[in-house]
Amino acid sequence: MQPALERELIVSGVVLLALATLVEVTALVRRRPSFVVTAACFAGATGFFLAAIVGRWVRESQGPFLTLYDILLSNGFSLALLLLLITSLSAPVRATLLVASPLLLMMGIWLLDAPATAVPLPATFDNYWLWAHVVSGKIFLGFCLAATGIAVAMLLRGLIKAPRASYLVPEPERAEQALWALFFIAFICHSFMLVAGSVWAHSAWGKYWSWDPLETWTLVTWLILGGVLHARVAFKKMPAGLGHALVVAAFAVAFLTFFGVPFFSIAPHKGLM
Amino acid sequence: MYESAMIRTAKKLASLRLTLVGMLMLAVLAVLGVRSDAVSIDMTTIPLVLLAMNLVAALMTNRTLRTQAGLLVFHVGLLMVFGLIGLSVLTRFDGHVEVAQGAGFEPAAVTTTANGWLHDNRLDGIEFYQSDIRVDYLPRLVRQETRSTVEYRGADGAMHRATIGDKVGFEVDGYRFLATFNKGFALLLHWQDDTGAEAIGAVNFLSFPRHDWNQVTTWTTPAGQEVELEIDFDEPYFNDDSAWTLKATDVPYRVNVTPTDRATVAVREGDAVRVDGGTLRVADLRLWMGYRIDYLPFLPWMLVAAMLAIAGLAIHFASRYLPGAATARTLTDAEGGAHAARA
Repeated sequence: MQPALERELIVSGVVLLALATLVEVTALVRRRPSFVVTAACFAGATGFFLAAIVGRWVRESQGPFLTLYDILLSNGFSLALLLLLITSLSAPVRATLLVASPLLLMMGIWLLDAPATAVPLPATFDNYWLWAHVVSGKIFLGFCLAATGIAVAMLLRGLIKAPRASYLVPEPERAEQALWALFFIAFICHSFMLVAGSVWAHSAWGKYWSWDPLETWTLVTWLILGGVLHARVAFKKMPAGLGHALVVAAFAVAFLTFFGVPFFSIAPHKGLM
Repeated sequence: MYESAMIRTAKKLASLRLTLVGMLMLAVLAVLGVRSDAVSIDMTTIPLVLLAMNLVAALMTNRTLRTQAGLLVFHVGLLMVFGLIGLSVLTRFDGHVEVAQGAGFEPAAVTTTANGWLHDNRLDGIEFYQSDIRVDYLPRLVRQETRSTVEYRGADGAMHRATIGDKVGFEVDGYRFLATFNKGFALLLHWQDDTGAEAIGAVNFLSFPRHDWNQVTTWTTPAGQEVELEIDFDEPYFNDDSAWTLKATDVPYRVNVTPTDRATVAVREGDAVRVDGGTLRVADLRLWMGYRIDYLPFLPWMLVAAMLAIAGLAIHFASRYLPGAATARTLTDAEGGAHAARA
């Protein structure tokens, strides 16, 4: 696949995410259900991003693992797919799309601005543990985003007037239960990502842990995720809003770890000659 | 009800709020330890020990933790990971060494980067010899497969061959030898002093192709004179626009030998040059391979413990969030309440 076609596919996906964002906001203002339209946009974006990934993979003979462009493209695909699946399976979770749509749109615009030049994957990096590490990381981020979207919706619910608030989160108790279930799955996936990453690192550059910036911030993210779960038990009278704010904070750190830290350092994750 | 002082202390130590303090300390010290020279990363040991003590105390005193299978498995697994990290730090060895083609592994040449207090160094008992080295490259110095062949003496006393690759190490007596990106040319030199005494040895040049523009090194002769040696190929060793392989070469070369305060003399393979106290002859051009050596006997067990912890999380999730879990939890709570009433 030619790079121009790859870009057209990505632009198409980004346009659909913009449409999904517009639909979600309009639906909130008009208080009319929008899930089918938003889901269709997400399905389309997932398809376009997948086609771009496959085309790039065939052209470059390697998966999307190394550059900011690769990471944004593969996460654009995985997040859109996971949110589509999660919201299709569970109605109380659908409020998350109001937050997830603009976030994915922002990532898509960022992707269009990122340099598309491929960086060859070092020979030592390519093994099964890389796959385990990357896939679990993407599932973690998807579930964490889904939980965060609900948390933001719950926080907004407390700020806006009653009819619209009821539309935003029609079943707050079920949404609350779903939020923590999703957050717990995210914690499990993050734990596995950390372990798989250590095994992969031991094979790829000989050390299972070397305190490089990405490893350190991944550990910090894990501690924050674990800390939020412990805080719920330690402070039983903690206001629900504070719990939701902590979930949002955990996602913010995870997001920065995924898309910020690896690209501001010369960490081994970028490989050596 | 009577409680011993130990149990009272353990209950205080088991506080979930202390867990949060430990986690916060660990996160802050990890970030500071990586970013600031003023804080050593070793400081993370303090919150790790605190968290381990907190966890042991919680397992001793927190009934919920002991009665919920998932939570119990997760926390026991986590405690095992803590313990195994501690054991690994105490028993580990980490170092690196360069071995030239045709030469044997010399334990004295190993640079040690980490040596645990309880590590019983057995490198002296390891015997292997460096054989063929091949490293494939794509254009623009993109490194591909490394194949470094070694000959080693097995437990049966016979010599065996093994090829160390990017994904395959070479393990002897628990020590793992991994080929690194670090490798280069080694010049085999023959030395004969004025009394007729001879010696032969290899001088390793800077890593290649990383320093392909600077294949220069200095070496001190057995007679004490410092000489600068430079490898000068008659034609480019590789073409960066096509794929190539770093291997023992037949590309013609000369060696520029510059003794201190003397003029440079260019010599070909087999030629000799007179320096203070003796004669230096260029015998051969070979390769050297850099190896990373580690000894981490508890690493597989750390993986087992970590996977056990993750399995515990999955069990806890299933018991708490999957359909039917609410009913089961209500029953468990009721049983727990009855148990507490009887006590």
